[in-house]
Amino acid sequence: MIKRWLTGFGITAYLGTLMFGIVSHAANFQDGSHPSMYFIVWDMFCGWSAYENRTHIVGQGVSGKYYELSPGPWGDYQPYGNISRHHYDSFNLNPQTIAVNCLKHTTHEPMTRLYVVEEAWAKKYNLPESLWQQRYSEPKEPYSYFHVRTVLTPEGQITGNAVPWLSYQTNFTISDNPRLQRESQTSVPMFMVRPISETSSPSAN
Amino acid sequence: MTTTSHHAGNEIPSGLRARIGKFFFAEETSFGLALVRIVICIACLLVTVPRWIHSRELYSSDGAPTPLALNYGYADLLPIPSGGLAVALMTILTFCCTTACIGWCTRASLAISAVLYTYLNLLDSISTMTKYSVITSHVLFLLAFSHCGAVWSVDAWLRRRRLGLPQPTSLAEHPKFAAWPRRLIQILIGVVYFGASVTKLHTPAYFSGDQLWHWMITNVNNANPVGEWMTLYPASLVGFAYLCVIWEILFLFVSWRGWSRVCMLTMGVGFHVMTTLTLGLYLFPITCIATYFAFVNSEDVVAAAARWRRWNRRHGETWLPRFNAVTRLPRVLAVWATTALRPAGLRLTPAGSLGVFGMLLTVVSVGAVEVEYRLDIYGERGPNGPLALKEIDPKVVKQMFAGSKRLREYDKLLAFDIGSSMFGGMITGVRDTFQYGDSIIAQCSLSPPHEDMWLECNLHDANNVLIDRVGQIVVRSQLRGNFLYRACDALDPGTYFLVLRTGTQELTRRKIEILPSDEARCRINAN
Repeated sequence: MIKRWLTGFGITAYLGTLMFGIVSHAANFQDGSHPSMYFIVWDMFCGWSAYENRTHIVGQGVSGKYYELSPGPWGDYQPYGNISRHHYDSFNLNPQTIAVNCLKHTTHEPMTRLYVVEEAWAKKYNLPESLWQQRYSEPKEPYSYFHVRTVLTPEGQITGNAVPWLSYQTNFTISDNPRLQRESQTSVPMFMVRPISETSSPSAN
Repeated sequence: MTTTSHHAGNEIPSGLRARIGKFFFAEETSFGLALVRIVICIACLLVTVPRWIHSRELYSSDGAPTPLALNYGYADLLPIPSGGLAVALMTILTFCCTTACIGWCTRASLAISAVLYTYLNLLDSISTMTKYSVITSHVLFLLAFSHCGAVWSVDAWLRRRRLGLPQPTSLAEHPKFAAWPRRLIQILIGVVYFGASVTKLHTPAYFSGDQLWHWMITNVNNANPVGEWMTLYPASLVGFAYLCVIWEILFLFVSWRGWSRVCMLTMGVGFHVMTTLTLGLYLFPITCIATYFAFVNSEDVVAAAARWRRWNRRHGETWLPRFNAVTRLPRVLAVWATTALRPAGLRLTPAGSLGVFGMLLTVVSVGAVEVEYRLDIYGERGPNGPLALKEIDPKVVKQMFAGSKRLREYDKLLAFDIGSSMFGGMITGVRDTFQYGDSIIAQCSLSPPHEDMWLECNLHDANNVLIDRVGQIVVRSQLRGNFLYRACDALDPGTYFLVLRTGTQELTRRKIEILPSDEARCRINAN
């Protein structure tokens, strides 16, 4: 009987957890509060973009030459299809780990700076030539945009971070508005640091 | 967790509590769970085997792990293993998935697999952890509490050998256990679909077909040529989008019995096959379809076995010899196993079996660590020491650091389609020849982000002389602008161009033919 009760309790707890995930996701309540939420929130294909993105992690040597830091020279790892692993870091949270690992396991001249450069192009250019000709009257001439997203020291310390390329472009679509520009210029972003603090504080944005 | 005798199989309980009790605790033979176990372990192996050689790079402090916890602001939630340990853990996981698949030390194998699979996935958020791995973790976890190793397993074979039992000839001779692990897997997949439908309800672009359109022309999952072809028919995507969300909502509620179960599962298989063809997904469909075996109950297995016997009686003599090589293989293996392993099978107690399992696991893991070390994946111990970095072409560098540019007008244009009817906000029946009286609908689809735009769709004659100008504002939240023309007597039969312009430049143009018609139906202006 105790086993039956324990089993009943386990079933109730499990179903309650699944139910909480559904409610949390539907109401956007605590759905990003803890990594465990990833196991009960079913948000597959929750986003989309009209632009295809790739990430280039590069290092600049003291000679001025630039080097590819991902994939490493030992070989590429492509988890799905033919796209390298680092391109799946859509939140740009791990380039320093990937870059530093590459530098750690290779021989190279001293580095001055590491960069994360976003490349983006309209997804319509992904269409194969035969389908392109059926859909468009112009010849297919793919065009890529590049955008420096992050600057790092050779040790992986971030020294500069820009907004993602898509946000950068979205900002343009909104800021081409004289009234909005005028009003936004009256409010310069700032962050108050307590004067008695002796340690440097990271920027708020 | 063990066999229960609270409800007999065919008894119809009254009252909600009794019905819930029967739903979760009715006794049955674990055929469905055994199938889930076998297929889900194969799905796991499809993940672990190709990634094994990359274990050091993906999951260890000697590589570039990308813990999921970082996305949630928890920097050091889980310890990151050293290179050798990561390889050992990945090897243990692969070994346990294999033994769980064949049903040897099933519970221990599943428990170890559930823990290690989840742990290693959590260490690589960008290339290992996805929603299919989450579903797999749930299923492995639930299977570890079940008796899925009681049938179609090495454990069952060893047990029969040890106890001197004959091969079961009927369903009644198989052991029976409470149904709750199977029920929880059924509910899990229903909840997954229900949650996915909530996601879709949160995404307006899903119902307009834009989201699907864009997922179908990317290879971030895998190549998907059927999806690319389907983008020629965007209106069909709207239809599929609604069908899919209705199925996802209904699944949890009507997939339990009768024809609705068959219907829901068939639609599910169709849906997942389509995700493979149109989106390039492979492991997600395999994982989800693995859970469908939880809908197989004892009666299904009896019915399938009877059908097989009937077919065998009628057609076996004709067809089976043609597949002799295939059908003989399991029999040969069974005879070999019985002959070779009989002495061991007779001696092996559960504890002994676990001991052999542990020893083999240790030997394989240590051997794998040694092999991986000798493979030297970073190429550091080669004759010339560590490998050199690859220099980037200066022309490419110049492009990369040329400074961020604003979007070109042409890149904001997704498509310019001409047709005469619409479905779900999309042009259907795309064509370039119209007769007097036909509606000519020109639809301009834009890619986000774009600013508030002035769009013109102008009619030019064959000599490129502007004969009609129509414009409209498409605000930044809109992705489509429609222009309606009418092929009418005001236009001579012949060739025309519909020219799409923004305020500053021409984006594209389409050639159309207007043919005369005996019925002079249209005598109004062109627009």
